[in-house]
Amino acid sequence: MAMAKVVRVSLSLISFLLMLLSPAASIGQSDGPRSGKILVVVDDFAIRSSHSIFFNSLLDRGFNLDFKLADDPSISLQSFGNYQYDGLVIFSPSAKQIGRSLTSSGVLEFVDSGRDLILAADLHASDFIREIATECGADFDEDRNAVVIDHTSYAVSDAEGDHTLIASEDILKSVVFFGEKEIEAPVLFRGIAHTLNPANNMAVKVLSASPSAYSANPNGLISKSPGLSGSTISLVSTVQARNNARMLVSGSLDLFSNRFFKSNVQKSGSSTSHKIAGNEQFVTEISKWVFHERGHLKAVNVTHHKIGEIEEPSMYRIKDDSVYSVEIYEWSGTSWEPYVADDVQLQFYMMSPYVLKTLSTDQKGVYSTTFKVPDVYGVFQFKVEYQRLGYTSLSLSEQIPVRPFKHNEYERFLTAAYPYYGAAFSSMTGFFLFTVVYLYNK
Amino acid sequence: MAKSNDNDAMDLIQSLRSAYGSTPKNLKIIDLYMVFSVITALIQVIYMALVGSFPFNSFLSGVLSCVGTAVLAVCLRIQVNKENTEFKDLAPERAFADFILCNLVLHLVIMNFLG
Repeated sequence: MAMAKVVRVSLSLISFLLMLLSPAASIGQSDGPRSGKILVVVDDFAIRSSHSIFFNSLLDRGFNLDFKLADDPSISLQSFGNYQYDGLVIFSPSAKQIGRSLTSSGVLEFVDSGRDLILAADLHASDFIREIATECGADFDEDRNAVVIDHTSYAVSDAEGDHTLIASEDILKSVVFFGEKEIEAPVLFRGIAHTLNPANNMAVKVLSASPSAYSANPNGLISKSPGLSGSTISLVSTVQARNNARMLVSGSLDLFSNRFFKSNVQKSGSSTSHKIAGNEQFVTEISKWVFHERGHLKAVNVTHHKIGEIEEPSMYRIKDDSVYSVEIYEWSGTSWEPYVADDVQLQFYMMSPYVLKTLSTDQKGVYSTTFKVPDVYGVFQFKVEYQRLGYTSLSLSEQIPVRPFKHNEYERFLTAAYPYYGAAFSSMTGFFLFTVVYLYNK
Repeated sequence: MAKSNDNDAMDLIQSLRSAYGSTPKNLKIIDLYMVFSVITALIQVIYMALVGSFPFNSFLSGVLSCVGTAVLAVCLRIQVNKENTEFKDLAPERAFADFILCNLVLHLVIMNFLG
């Protein structure tokens, strides 16, 4: 009897331990800045198979996808106040809301909490989708029937001949957004146009239209000049918010589809025909950026101390030599790699930077520099403010007071006072000579 | 009128010079020592005006040493001058001993304050 009990208890213990040890499915992303759980909201499950290459690439990178219909009442982003997902993909352009009660404000709260969003719209996009996009900085064309038309930059394989299938080569050139390999083939796009406010420095046009593109109803006559045209049109944009949440707004759901991924493309007016469109590479790389697999920095291990010491002092004295060091890493999708750059700067700041130095790196992620504390007393901060396009912003700050010399820390003989020393000694010798002369003169 | 003013000034300086020539030798030595002290003090003040008063204590002690010995030399001159009836009963050796003692104290203080 006792033996059986012991065996049962030990078996349950072993299984418990195994459960703890066996990693979760999303091991690829669990070390990184996001947990890797993504909710995909679709209009109907056919999208799951018609866009399967995109979803499979996400699964291969270690993400955990949850597919739900837009009107599924069981959708909830939060459970007891904690968000259950770190990413949201909305592939339901005609949905009026998500789940039972999730309206645009719920989605925007999700983004405000620092989580990522991919939003794809299409012709007849609902107000819900438009509102989310507007709050993110991307304004879709107000005309509900308008799509992007381009008579000089369309894809030659366009069956309907109304030039709404665009082949765009205006891809943002950036290593942090798209990786090292250039996208050679044009990207196919069929959908609606949006525009970004040029004063917004957090939103970036990732796929732009050619100067001859315009947004209008392809079936009607155009009676006045189109509102959006040329360079004001953005086909796909990204936004990085101040809390480092990343959003991708695309005017076309077909951009992500298997059909576009596998199709060959020839841009009108160009003689080169590409076997594979650039869509797959474009979508894969930009989704890596959106889900923080590229361009996500973390700064750890901030230390500062006087030269020659190891411990951090509680206070510096003016004209001390100080060493500051910080380690910056970038998430590569699977591990934290050292971040290498030559433009990270340190400010020694009290109302304005008294010292501004560029940190030098040892190529392994450690950035450090030494400088002399300025001749001003007060409470200073070691500040590193690093904001670069495509990278998360770093904002580090350590406060430290700076005191003047103690009275016994001055040099023994001050150079500025030599004339006074000289005068005192000369008056002493003068006095001595005077007494000699006075006493012994005749 | 101007011409007579000029003449008066010249006459004044001339008479001062000739009168000074007849002072006793030891008084002249004291006068020379005082001039040296005052010039040293003036040099220090000009230096401070140029450079600023950073080690103010050093400035004060340098200037005070010069001005102090000048003052003590003046006292010595007054007490030793035979034409001065006030100190008729004071022996000149006593006056000189006082002078040396006070100077020693002065320079002791100066060395301490020099920093």
